[in-house]
Amino acid sequence: MTPVEQHPQHVDAGAPLRGGQLAVEHVSHEYVSPGRRTPALADVSFAIQAGRVCCVVGPSGCGKSTLLGLAAGLLSPSSGRIVWDGEAVRLGPNKHIGMAFQQPGLFPWLTVRENVAIGLRTRGLGRHEARRIAEEFLATVGLADFQDAYPSQLSGGMAQRVGIARALALQPRLLLLDEPFAAVDAFTRLKLQQELLALLRRYRPTVMFVTHDVAEAIAVGDMIVVMSARPASVLRIIPIDAADRNRASPAFARKLGETLECLGVTQ
Amino acid sequence: MKIRDTFLLPLAGVALVLAVWQSTVVLYRLPGIVLPPPWDVALALLQLTGTQAFWRDVGVSLFEFASGFTIGGLLGVAIGVAIGESRTFRLASTPVVESLRFVVPFAWIPLTILWFGTSYTGKIALVAYAVFFVMVVSTARAVAAVDPTLSRVGTALGMGRWRLAWSVHVRAAAPTIASAARAAAAIGWIAVVAAEYIGASAGLGLMITNAASSLATPVVIAGMIVIGLIGAGVSALIGWLARLRLDYR
Repeated sequence: MTPVEQHPQHVDAGAPLRGGQLAVEHVSHEYVSPGRRTPALADVSFAIQAGRVCCVVGPSGCGKSTLLGLAAGLLSPSSGRIVWDGEAVRLGPNKHIGMAFQQPGLFPWLTVRENVAIGLRTRGLGRHEARRIAEEFLATVGLADFQDAYPSQLSGGMAQRVGIARALALQPRLLLLDEPFAAVDAFTRLKLQQELLALLRRYRPTVMFVTHDVAEAIAVGDMIVVMSARPASVLRIIPIDAADRNRASPAFARKLGETLECLGVTQ
Repeated sequence: MKIRDTFLLPLAGVALVLAVWQSTVVLYRLPGIVLPPPWDVALALLQLTGTQAFWRDVGVSLFEFASGFTIGGLLGVAIGVAIGESRTFRLASTPVVESLRFVVPFAWIPLTILWFGTSYTGKIALVAYAVFFVMVVSTARAVAAVDPTLSRVGTALGMGRWRLAWSVHVRAAAPTIASAARAAAAIGWIAVVAAEYIGASAGLGLMITNAASSLATPVVIAGMIVIGLIGAGVSALIGWLARLRLDYR
């Protein structure tokens, strides 16, 4: 079965599939500091098919961000491994990833355009090419008029758009999102979710999206991985169909109820 | 409002000091050798600025300062970054840095005279030393205190360790490093003059001690004022450069 048949909403007939497959295999992780071991993940396993969007939900502080850090190669797992396209992810900068964070982490000394271009420059693109691509992606997120602004002049929602443009401009095969919309107001969040969906349809990377907003997870994801409290393990994997995404539909309510119940929040 | 803030209030402060000074001289009938009135000092200052020897002394002191500041500043930032970035380096250097930074530059003056005599070299070494420790400690701290989100962003964007250190950590720490440089300049300038007081063949400090031994008190005070003005000027220059290059708000 192709993704086209299974997930009509995510399909743009012309867009080539960019993403690869990510497999999390029996991953455990603990943070070790002098005199203390803090377990964060306990035997986590799941897989994301190429080009799918996997939302990871769970109680705050459960280790969701740790999972992203491991997938990005920012951390190395205590045991188990994360496999990208058949190869174990190694510690250090990895060329296939793009990442966006809850605090967008824009460099305050660079303009918006330079913030988007710097990742491309780091990956060896020439100045003009990097600039052209940065402008293209800023236009895509509706910030063409703010290229010369500094991050301090942006609203929270705009800064978050820049963060996403910066990640997408790298044209990553794996996009890692760490609660990117958690710090913006509810209305902006809904708008950003819609924009993100459109962008994902266009560029089709594989996505791991960490959020604590279950409705957001259903609206954006192809699957939801529900995690337990720390140390996090997988409680359930819930598939999401296009029909579930309509917030007004009974199907949406059912998925919401199922996820919340799994998280121990009964209505 | 602007005139009041930029001219009137600062002038009022200066006027107050001069008034207290003048009235002290008058009230206690102090002889000029003990404390000359402001006017005599102003005349002495005017006379000084007309002599070549004065400008040579100013030049020597500034040269010693600028050389020492550059050497100490560059070394301090480089080692500070290394300490901030590398655990190994930090652990190895901590005992040396932490104990030496409390040995004030003035404690070194006897040794520098012994080693370098009254030449420029001793003063330059002293300034470099004074500036170095201020810069090492502040740079290491500033680099280590950079928002960890920026580091994660840098790595996620594909930066390796040294690229991250240079393009993100040093750049993010630059405003803190610049204000440390301002503090270091003050300490370095003080160190130059102090060293010249004790043993020098030229410089503002020597000019002042010479004037003192010939009981030319107005010249002594005029020299002190020049020291203060140059210090304030250097500090303002660094602040201005920092704003010029680092202001992105």
